[in-house]
Amino acid sequence: MWRFRQFLSSLMSLTVWSVLFTSQTNVFGYNRAEMISYIFMAAILHGLVLASALYGLAERIYSGDISSLLLKPVSLFSYLAIEEVADKGRNILATLIESGILIALFQPEIVLPSAYTTVVFLLWAAGGVILNFLFSLLFGTLGFWSPDTWGPKFLFFIFLDFSAGKLFPLNILPDWLQSALFLTPFPYLTFMQTQVFLGKVAIDKILIHSSALLLWIVLFYLLNKFLWHWGFKNYAAQGQ
Amino acid sequence: MNRIQTYWRVWRLTGFNALQVAFVHRGTNIFFLLGKMFRFSISLLFLLLIKQSVSTLGGYSSDEMLVFFLVYQVIDSFSQALFRNVYVFGNQVKNGELDFLLIKPLNPLFRILTDKPDINDLLFLLPTVGVSFYLLSTLTISVTPVSILLFAVLFVNALVIALALHILIVAIAVSIVEIEGLVWLYRDLTSLGRFPVSIYHESIRLVLFFLIPIGLMLTVPAQVLLNLKPSVGIALVFGITGLLLLSSLQFWKYSLKKYTSASS
Repeated sequence: MWRFRQFLSSLMSLTVWSVLFTSQTNVFGYNRAEMISYIFMAAILHGLVLASALYGLAERIYSGDISSLLLKPVSLFSYLAIEEVADKGRNILATLIESGILIALFQPEIVLPSAYTTVVFLLWAAGGVILNFLFSLLFGTLGFWSPDTWGPKFLFFIFLDFSAGKLFPLNILPDWLQSALFLTPFPYLTFMQTQVFLGKVAIDKILIHSSALLLWIVLFYLLNKFLWHWGFKNYAAQGQ
Repeated sequence: MNRIQTYWRVWRLTGFNALQVAFVHRGTNIFFLLGKMFRFSISLLFLLLIKQSVSTLGGYSSDEMLVFFLVYQVIDSFSQALFRNVYVFGNQVKNGELDFLLIKPLNPLFRILTDKPDINDLLFLLPTVGVSFYLLSTLTISVTPVSILLFAVLFVNALVIALALHILIVAIAVSIVEIEGLVWLYRDLTSLGRFPVSIYHESIRLVLFFLIPIGLMLTVPAQVLLNLKPSVGIALVFGITGLLLLSSLQFWKYSLKKYTSASS
């Protein structure tokens, strides 16, 4: 059902942009082929990067459900990582089927990247997957201290959907808002990947953005390490 | 009259309980409210950006597109605020609570649909309606007293469509129990109504006007408010709404006959 919901969301974006391009050849610096490619790529990355099996982790911690995982002869984080990889596999398959249906419906002209940008795109997509995994772990730690995790998660998802650029690319926003967004790690989850795919990132900027992505991964890794360590000190395995 | 007063008293009581729960979980609710406001602001920002660069979209001016979005926002928030209990109905079937609702001297659908009104959505309606009125006063659109009156009638009709669709969801939930996916599917289908349904692919348009009539619920009221020719005739809108309500009530009765109260 979740995948069907994503399909509807892509359908809406594709329809709105297709209709917009019936009377214009260029909107916000994108031509029709670039924008349609952008929507397709954003949908694929949404399935690959943002879909996660760990969004219920906080409840599993608060309910004491992870106690049984802690007793297993595999580290908790390896177990969670495997769950995540399995979930990604399922989502990628579903995304490919959805994309096939959307391609049949809209018959779009898709922009394809060069070999060099494909490599950068794949590396950044892998970086996005790791960053989202670290985000999910970080949200999971809320479960060490509070049962009320839905509120912050809801706000986070809304922000994630926007910053992932599902309906529109972030670079159509006013400059001040784009600058503010680039002070956060959110554009590195999927947006920058779509930009490199479309060839909209200059070669000299690739190293800067790669470093920024790496920096966010390191920062969130350290933050996770600290919070999980602190959380386990408080963990009393109630309910088990 | 006495009967209506009874229902009003029950709704007031459940509303007051929901308010108390909202205050107990005030931190969480502030996050929910912020999230809803953020989503509303971003959608508005997108439409305002479109307005700056594009003059028409699917035959509608950018000002008219804003009206479609605002109508969606108000109708959706209103129906969410009223029928929020549907989200937990699956649990009520699972844990046998439904049986207690069935034996009460009230129509069970009333409490199934309207228990726990969403305080966040009710609060969110205030800025939404305020911003909508402000924006409507700044747009170049043709709104007349007659179109406002007809819009008001279609607004009530939209709530009846939302009611009928929610009854269908709970009727299905009696059999399949897992309801969350179904409710979210309804939410996503309604979110297609942020833009006029008439811009979608023909097959999708047919589904959204005549099978799951989101278009009649959201697009037609906005068209009427704007004094535009509605995609579907008004008489047909009322006819389809009546048919949908009757068939959803029939389906609900059928589901209740099949209900075995296995969880109690």
